[in-house]
Amino acid sequence: MNAALHNLTGAYAAQALADTERVSFERHLDACPGCAQEVRELAETTARLGAAVATAPPPGLWDRVRAEALATGQVPPVTRRAGGGGRARQGRAVPALRFRPLLVAAAVLLVAVLSVTAVNLGVLGRSERTERTADLVAAVLAAPDARRVAAGPGGPGRASVVVSRGRGQAVFLASGLRPAPAGRTYQLWVVGRSGPRPAGLAEVAGGGRVARLLDGPVAGDEQVAMTVERRGGAARPTSEPVVVVDLRA
Amino acid sequence: MRKANPPGPPDRTLSEPTDTDGARVALTWTRREPAGRRAETPLRLPVGDDGLEGLLTLVALGDEQAFAELYRRVAAPVFGLVSKVVRNPAQAEEVAQEVFVELWRTASRFDPARGTARAWIMTCAHRRAVDRVRSAERAARRDDLAGRRDQGRPYDEVAEQVETSLEREHVRRSLDALTDLQREAVVLAYYGGYTHREIAELLGVPSGTVRTRLRDGLLRLRDHLGVGA
Repeated sequence: MNAALHNLTGAYAAQALADTERVSFERHLDACPGCAQEVRELAETTARLGAAVATAPPPGLWDRVRAEALATGQVPPVTRRAGGGGRARQGRAVPALRFRPLLVAAAVLLVAVLSVTAVNLGVLGRSERTERTADLVAAVLAAPDARRVAAGPGGPGRASVVVSRGRGQAVFLASGLRPAPAGRTYQLWVVGRSGPRPAGLAEVAGGGRVARLLDGPVAGDEQVAMTVERRGGAARPTSEPVVVVDLRA
Repeated sequence: MRKANPPGPPDRTLSEPTDTDGARVALTWTRREPAGRRAETPLRLPVGDDGLEGLLTLVALGDEQAFAELYRRVAAPVFGLVSKVVRNPAQAEEVAQEVFVELWRTASRFDPARGTARAWIMTCAHRRAVDRVRSAERAARRDDLAGRRDQGRPYDEVAEQVETSLEREHVRRSLDALTDLQREAVVLAYYGGYTHREIAELLGVPSGTVRTRLRDGLLRLRDHLGVGA
């Protein structure tokens, strides 16, 4: 049986198996490191075959790709513990994820949030509170009416705000953010008609990530801004915002 | 804040995934060089560490600039391969678009431990192209197959379109190093999008024989191209 299965590596790498055959061979790959390694090498080989027929695409393709991509949610990374996890299928995505990108994003962000809040609440050290904060963030991200708005260009890292009008709440998200300078902190603001009001301090976790539930209600027609303030925060912003997310956009 | 960023060559500012919790979400990165610097990166797809891994990681974080750069680097291989398999130009464009949206959507699924970014991207492109010819054109291709069987070997017309350039020449020489039967199987399967059963039917040999030729052929190609993984 195994000899016949081992023989499928080439057909698999060339994607010459029918769907049912492919599925059962992938099961075999999970259990056969030799075949898995060979498939890896043959996939590198077929990639060369593909690159050998490179042709410049039509000029309009990028615009269409970009437009469609920006309207498409992204699948979050798979969290894999050491020694665990199945192998990724060739070019196959998990179809269910496309329906609720924000929901699944919440799963990823829980990791970030847990580490953020672990810093926030370091003195208290109560895991229940950590979990509760993470739950609140996840609830906003997973809300049926959750909407994600990206920050304008030019700011540090990548920032966005996910807002749920139904819950009247919003979460500030960022990645690639450098830690605030010594003695200073990032502070978030919700800017409505009556001007900015403080919405909490943004602690930067590993990977420059922030996932912070904004203090107070958010209607969804405000702007969210982040400034650099003295440690402990300020009652009113004292500097130009480094990030602005316009929820009206 | 951007001024404080350390200078570095384009695309090399990305650090490896950290192992703090064994999760791939624990990626660290700093801002990339301004667009002016990045434009100097060569437009080739070099062998080996070509920065695609880093780009994919940034794309997974929703970085549009990284996505544009990724597109710039792999659009030609992706579009060329898809065109080769799908053949119909309008459909090829559609499929190529699907491929890039899929790359955007699932970039986080890329795992460097399981192969290079280029292999992952090209596998995704090939899969989409093959899916297209196997669904929409399945019926037509069945007729096509029956017709072709009487006309002799169809792979030449595919193979002869593999034009020359350094990489093409290298791949072509490697294909030449295969036996005729191996080359036929590899070309029909990979560029033609046929399943091993279809190829068996086409050539009038058992499908097990086709599977063996595919494996032996690709293994020989691997050795000839010096592919490691």
